[in-house]
Amino acid sequence: MGKDRLLPLLALSILFIASSSSLYVYATQTTTDAMLINGQHYTINQLFALAKHRVSNDSQYTGIALDDLMVKTGISHPEQYQYSLKGADGYEKTVTWQNMKNGLLTMNRESVFSDLPKAFRVKDIVSIEVK
Amino acid sequence: MLNRKFIAGIIVFGSLWGFAECIIGSLLRDVNLPAGAIMTGVFAIGLMTLSRITFRQPGMQTGIGLVAGALRFFNPFGGCFVCSAIAIMAEGLLFDLIWTRFSLDQKTTWTRTLQVSLGITTAYLVYVGGYIVTQILTPLFSSAGFYVENIIVFIPQILASGLLAALLGVATIPAMFALKNAQIRMQDRLYYPVTIGVSAFCWVFVILNTLLIMWI
Repeated sequence: MGKDRLLPLLALSILFIASSSSLYVYATQTTTDAMLINGQHYTINQLFALAKHRVSNDSQYTGIALDDLMVKTGISHPEQYQYSLKGADGYEKTVTWQNMKNGLLTMNRESVFSDLPKAFRVKDIVSIEVK
Repeated sequence: MLNRKFIAGIIVFGSLWGFAECIIGSLLRDVNLPAGAIMTGVFAIGLMTLSRITFRQPGMQTGIGLVAGALRFFNPFGGCFVCSAIAIMAEGLLFDLIWTRFSLDQKTTWTRTLQVSLGITTAYLVYVGGYIVTQILTPLFSSAGFYVENIIVFIPQILASGLLAALLGVATIPAMFALKNAQIRMQDRLYYPVTIGVSAFCWVFVILNTLLIMWI
């Protein structure tokens, strides 16, 4: 098939894939005020009452310490696990215990890690899975 | 002489792209617009297409991406600058691969349908490809490491996010062909002073802007 036919067909296929994906994302978007941590549901206020507070290294962000949060939610030997933080839009990042010790959860349910790039800032977190 | 012109072209196009990413991209992020898709669909695709149809040299856009990505490293503000720099470099390489793979340099007749199709295809593939590459490489360079399941669950969002870039490509590539057809030519004696001057302006502006933000 020549380029004169291939390119328009490819463009149409791309538009179809991108539009279908947009519909799928819209249909499967999660909206919840609760956060699922290690199989238990919590509100953000409950979590803030539970764990000790932490300020980011650059003093720009305040929240609760992610490592302390894991301990307070009943995870024993937390250093043996990895932690997957998932946002309402499906964005997910897995971090180590060492990263959790440098991380905080803001009131807006966003993760901030002082030892990781901004790509690890998961917004509107709906779950933290212990693996 | 051609090689010097080619290298000067890489530097000036790369500097313009890097400048746009650092200054215009930051402004777009500040007003909560989808900066990534707009920057790729308009500036990246526009500058890379213009350079490619002007010079018709494979490899040029990889170089442009490297220059633009390097400039992005000098502006550590506005979103994840490591991710942005990696994505820019990957986008240059992907654009180059698409044009070389489809042997587009040999094509002489470009109907409007083909220009629009090319706009959708390159803008989408370059944006989505750059997004995937940065989602793999950024964690690899961090202490957290890369987990394949993190990217698999996010693939629908990545595929969806490229739609805006593809739609912007519909206008950008025909605009670049129109610009090329306008036969705007620069006198040879002005070529090096202009390319060096524009490149220097972009780098100095971005570095001064960075220092100013850090000082404030």
